[in-house]
Amino acid sequence: MTDRLTEDDVIAAIPGLTRARLIGFIEAEVVIPIRAETGPVFRQIDLARMELLCDLLDDLDLDESALAVVMSLIDQLHTARQDLRALARALQSEPPEVRARIGAALRGAD
Amino acid sequence: MTTDPYAALGLTKSATAEEIKKAYRRLARTSHPDLHPDDADAIARFKAISAAYDLLKDPETRARFDAGEIDATGAERPQRRYYRDFADAPDNPYQQARGFEARGDPADIFAEILRQRSRQGGEGFGGRGFAAPGPDFRYALEVPFLDAARGGEMHLTLPEGGSIAVRIPQGAREGQTLRLRGKGGPGFGGGPPGDALINLSIRPHPVFSREGDNILLTLPITIDEAILGAKVTAPTIAGPVSLTVPKGASSGRVLRLRGRGIKRAGAKTAGDQLVELQIVAPPAIDDALRDFLTNWRKTNAHDPRARLLNEAAS
Repeated sequence: MTDRLTEDDVIAAIPGLTRARLIGFIEAEVVIPIRAETGPVFRQIDLARMELLCDLLDDLDLDESALAVVMSLIDQLHTARQDLRALARALQSEPPEVRARIGAALRGAD
Repeated sequence: MTTDPYAALGLTKSATAEEIKKAYRRLARTSHPDLHPDDADAIARFKAISAAYDLLKDPETRARFDAGEIDATGAERPQRRYYRDFADAPDNPYQQARGFEARGDPADIFAEILRQRSRQGGEGFGGRGFAAPGPDFRYALEVPFLDAARGGEMHLTLPEGGSIAVRIPQGAREGQTLRLRGKGGPGFGGGPPGDALINLSIRPHPVFSREGDNILLTLPITIDEAILGAKVTAPTIAGPVSLTVPKGASSGRVLRLRGRGIKRAGAKTAGDQLVELQIVAPPAIDDALRDFLTNWRKTNAHDPRARLLNEAAS
């Protein structure tokens, strides 16, 4: 089971994260806490994501309103990479002649 | 207690070395315990500003603090785990749209493709004005173990008020995302509303745990049940059932209750419940039991560790 962190835990764990900033992240839906009976809780992935968000704001001077756009692009990138890997895996199990044909089509495409 | 050494000295990150020195000296004058013998808080204040100054006066430790390598007490921060390490995992709850790996019912995948197509070529664009589907709303919800195992219904309170009913499918998995069509933001210019995407996270159960579609349980039994065999009652996710403990069962033996695990929607067979036996000594040992075992020991030499000790030495 993944360990869960409370609001206080994540604020303590991330330098540069304030309560106001955390609330802003949640309102902008760039971070989605788990709704548990005890209130909102966070996963390790949320922690890493908020560290990235703080870096974007503090070190890269990104505007807060741009955060959602940037995060959405990063998420799309990761999804696309996963799709690509899934495609590669699917091709791997095809017979050699199919793979050769697809390979030739890809080479011809550029 | 402030944890930011810059704040402790009344400075910001951009302070120069000279400013740090000056600020420290000024604060030290007003907070040094020996200069203010009647000021009860002076010791704590002075401790905080000295610690802050110790960290910031050395350009090297200051740089490491700025980079987040050490915290305000000078202790090493744990190695940071970057977002990409999580983002590349297949169960990333922030995944956008659905990829080829869209899990579950293949019909869902085609429905999604049709939905995307209707977005592009939909009636709104052909007519006058602009129409677009509403945005998808994302949520994460913690589901009680049994609701996930058996299916159930939960209510999700919306930030803007009101709530939506969420049907938890039987056998819902950790990290699974449910899509509630039309429960997202309203569409633009007559476009359809977006969807609500709900990422599930399963709350652990005090008694049951889960491995795929199988349910695991540790069941305590008494010495006599272990030796003579018995019919005992074991809890399952669907309520208690009777279970036969075979004669001469040891702790650690696993009994399988076929089909008593999770029956996922669409799966042909249900998972099993695996019951691990654990022999528990009686809370009070009476004379009869003690006398019997004392005598029994005299005539029954059996060392279950003999092989273990041999193998450990080899």
